[in-house]
Amino acid sequence: MDMSPYRDLFISEARNHLSAFNELIVHLEETPDDPAAVNELFRHAHSMKGMASTMGYDQVVGISHVMESQLSRIRSGEFRMGPAFADLLLESSDTLGRLVSKIEAGIDSDEDTTGLVERLTAYDPNAAVTPVSPSTPPDRRADSRTDASAATSHEFRQADTFKSIRIKTETLDHLVNITGELITNRYRLAEAVRIADASECREPLHQLTALLRSLRDEVFKARMLPFSFIAERFPRLVRDLARKQEKDVSLLLEGKEIELDRGILEEIADPIIHILRNAVDHGLESPEERVLAGKSAFSTITITVNRDKDHVEIIIADDGRGMDPERLTQKAIEKRLITAEQAGRMSAQEAYQLICAPGFSTAATVTDISGRGVGMDAVRTAISSLSGVLTIQSKKGEGSRFIMRLPITVSIINALIVRCGTIEVAFPLSVVKRSLELRPAEIFEESGQRMVMSEDSATPLRSLQQALQLPEPAIGADALLPAVVCDVAGTAVAFSVDRILGQQEIFVRPLRSPLSFLRGVGGATVTGDGRVLFVVDVSTLSA
Amino acid sequence: MSRTVMIVDDSLFMRKIMRGILAEKGYVVTAEAASALETMRNLHSSHPDIIFLDIILPDSNGLDLLESVITACPDTKVVVCSSLGEGQVVQKALDLGACAYIQKPFTPEKVAEVLESIGG
Repeated sequence: MDMSPYRDLFISEARNHLSAFNELIVHLEETPDDPAAVNELFRHAHSMKGMASTMGYDQVVGISHVMESQLSRIRSGEFRMGPAFADLLLESSDTLGRLVSKIEAGIDSDEDTTGLVERLTAYDPNAAVTPVSPSTPPDRRADSRTDASAATSHEFRQADTFKSIRIKTETLDHLVNITGELITNRYRLAEAVRIADASECREPLHQLTALLRSLRDEVFKARMLPFSFIAERFPRLVRDLARKQEKDVSLLLEGKEIELDRGILEEIADPIIHILRNAVDHGLESPEERVLAGKSAFSTITITVNRDKDHVEIIIADDGRGMDPERLTQKAIEKRLITAEQAGRMSAQEAYQLICAPGFSTAATVTDISGRGVGMDAVRTAISSLSGVLTIQSKKGEGSRFIMRLPITVSIINALIVRCGTIEVAFPLSVVKRSLELRPAEIFEESGQRMVMSEDSATPLRSLQQALQLPEPAIGADALLPAVVCDVAGTAVAFSVDRILGQQEIFVRPLRSPLSFLRGVGGATVTGDGRVLFVVDVSTLSA
Repeated sequence: MSRTVMIVDDSLFMRKIMRGILAEKGYVVTAEAASALETMRNLHSSHPDIIFLDIILPDSNGLDLLESVITACPDTKVVVCSSLGEGQVVQKALDLGACAYIQKPFTPEKVAEVLESIGG
């Protein structure tokens, strides 16, 4: 029988099983007495074995068969999941992952899996794990039927199997592009209708607007994936890092069902991983240190995802040692990143942002986990390039919070359009805190820097014209000066502009070389009357 | 001659393989189900002559489902699908009234053999 038509299906289904393996193994290590999870893990191993035997992938069969047998021992209450067995299962899962990747690449596996199979087969729970106490009731398979969460995951599978189809991601990208162009064209059409004063066109134009809005929403919905799409590997990652550091860390995920654009999810996975690594490596104390500080020996990292209209907030919080603003400024002075005078003026909030400065690292030793202080700089850049904002909060002795505020989509955004000298530019609304109209008297100087008051705090005022290296127009002495207050890496900065023109939905196109080298510009869009409008990237603008 | 079949397996991959083999042999797959719930939901509307039933499902152990199926449709022939090392469960399934069993991996020959043995 020719099995090649079934290979792709095998690979995608095997990947699903592998990701379930990782999640369930980590979960069971923390919560060994969860018979429903043991059952589910067993079932995934069973399915993997069945599929692989059908395809004739003997190595995969070998490993999943022993996994299944050992899990059946756990199921019957012979022993409980413990760290040593979890290690072995995770190693098996990794090996299966490599085997599946080889199958996908069409390469014959040269990996010798006999050692792993032998170790799995010979695994002796009594040598490594505490045996089951007599009071622990043996698991009964029927128990899982009443488990509510098992029922929900099953409902999801059902919908997944019968009510969805696979679409190439390029097709979705293409649909977004077409929708974006349609929106741009609608603006052009509306402009033409206005100029021609063609009143009979107004009603159909109105309809078109409503339909385009629905189309945009549907296309975006199709590109949305739950946060869990990237988060499934985080518990495993944290567990492995924590084991290496001999720390007891559990990762809690809240709101993983909240959806974001696939493009954004892809971009934020690495920054989140970096923050998690930093947290385990530097942020969290050793169990001994924690006990001495009167804290629980067990550390917790929480990732919370919240949806707020067209934004998503991802908060990564740890209950570790927190950061010391003084130590951070001291280090920055030593590294000549700031002057002592600047340090003196810095708020704690500003001091935390220093860890995102290029070349900054306070770790006494460079471990293989977090590497050098190049990472947080890259994290901040990645968030900014998505028109997002990274805020860092910390409390000495209590822990740190990294808050990423991101738009739920990147390509079609709401923007504030402003006139700046001879050109118009767009600020992504996600970075705009508010707009101001300033009288010259409201502008004051502090250490050579023009400042204004915004929400009761002194905020640096910069000229957008200057920042974009455009000729500066003369301002009349009494004229009101409009300004846009933006969130630049957690700090408010006001940019003076010539005029604020209004808010508009725009389709952002990336810039190609040589325009991509322009500082302070993150993309471009075409306006209703066919002009090109640049989208400001405040993170590079203020640098 | 029995010609309509229902395939119960939580793996889409396994269902596709089985569907492919059965189509080649001239059988009509009238329903597929990925869970016990789906099986019971589709059982009456699809009127299968034969059911290929995987013993391990997300929401039930196959034996409970087998009992429900046999009670609901006593004339339907149930073939239990199992894997290596599931002899005990298979024996229980046969005791409960399954007509035959087939061990994974499925091959066209094995499927043909089983179908013949149950007079399908």
